[in-house]
Amino acid sequence: MVALWAASLVPSPARAAHVLLQLFVSQPYLELHTGPGRGYPVTQVVARGESVDVLFRRTDWFKVRTERGVEGWASARELTKATLADGTPFHVDLGDLAGFQTHHWESGVYAGAYAGATLFGGWGALSITDNLKLEVGLSQYIGNVSDGYIADIGLAHVFMPEWRFSPLVDLGTGVEWVEPKATLATPVDRTDQVGYVGVGGRLYLARRFFMRGEYRQYVVFTKTNANEVNGEWRFGFAFFY
Amino acid sequence: MEIRIRLLLLSIALAACSGCASMHWPWHHQKTDDASASAGSSDADAPPPSVIEPQVERRKVTVPTIRAKNIELGAYYGEISIQDFGAQPVAGVRFDYHISEDLFAEATYGRAKGGRTSFEELSGNVQLLSDAERRFTYYNLSLGYNLLPGEVFIGRNLAMTSALYMIGGIGNVTFAGEHNFAVNFGAGFRVLPTDWLALHIDVQDLVFKSNDIGFYQLKNNLQATIGATVFF
Repeated sequence: MVALWAASLVPSPARAAHVLLQLFVSQPYLELHTGPGRGYPVTQVVARGESVDVLFRRTDWFKVRTERGVEGWASARELTKATLADGTPFHVDLGDLAGFQTHHWESGVYAGAYAGATLFGGWGALSITDNLKLEVGLSQYIGNVSDGYIADIGLAHVFMPEWRFSPLVDLGTGVEWVEPKATLATPVDRTDQVGYVGVGGRLYLARRFFMRGEYRQYVVFTKTNANEVNGEWRFGFAFFY
Repeated sequence: MEIRIRLLLLSIALAACSGCASMHWPWHHQKTDDASASAGSSDADAPPPSVIEPQVERRKVTVPTIRAKNIELGAYYGEISIQDFGAQPVAGVRFDYHISEDLFAEATYGRAKGGRTSFEELSGNVQLLSDAERRFTYYNLSLGYNLLPGEVFIGRNLAMTSALYMIGGIGNVTFAGEHNFAVNFGAGFRVLPTDWLALHIDVQDLVFKSNDIGFYQLKNNLQATIGATVFF
């Protein structure tokens, strides 16, 4: 970690060579705040026709440098009124219902129950199309008889990505690690492959946030003669980018 | 007579010259064809000369990408009061993702080691838990809210952005050989001396239900830590 910090202190050649985006102020003036938030005071303004170099972005705020070398924070909403060098407007993804329909990836946490045990975990998804997502999840459950972890990967199909609420189905496979409680006669940890099919829905809240709930049916391919079938419900909170 | 002979000779010479002119010599034909071809190229029916194509490549304008620095990665160290097992040093790592100027998601992993209960201290050699069981590890997935964003001033020339935040989440605590579903909540203060470095002071409570001393009870484990993170 210390090495990581030390490395970040020294500017690399690639970092030094990074070309900054230049934007031209088209509105009457552009306000620069002292920090990346609506409440930070405005101490500088950039007049129409002048340019700023965009240093980096933090959430919906951009740290910029004016032609006179003054640095400050401009909001994304204000910068959408600026133009690029060729006169085309500068586009910023602000996170709205349109972004909810089309985004690159999403991530969230959830809680629920797996075969009667308390379940919680997180997932991440990459959008292949607006409808189809490649999902990876990691869960832990804590039960009276056993504890365990489930890592899974699968595909989710969102039926109506343009709707505020949309049903979805998913299908995937994974691995389950089971740790039986020590109170049982012969507690032996075991690892099994699992497969699942699920049905649920997602609901857009605001900005970049949405909720998701679903019911999944897991089939655990045990090493005994009969497979286990476990039901799981989960309810989560997520954001997209 | 002499005139007649002259006329005859002249007629023969004239006939011979005109005959030569009308004869189809191969070189004579070639010359004629060349001449007709060169005359045809300047005809109006021929296709017009091609327009000169400019050999200029269209300049491709690439818009530089803007770096997003929404991720914080770092470590923390402090003290945790493990209920019934004393206050112990705790260390951990944290990962934060800033979703908006108000909200951020956080994942933490920490570990400590439980001490001896007062019962163990007073009763001599009794040991409720083995050394391995005293290991206290946890992870949390939380959501934070920047309740009071602001600035911190040091002297006349230094201003640093800061925020007092509330945080809460769910996770797991492994203690006394058992996994426990835990809820964490608390508050913290973040200050950024530079754009890439943040210093944290955090106070959180890790709450879970456990029967590590024989009966189920709600365990409150308060921890206070200081930490540093780097923005990426």
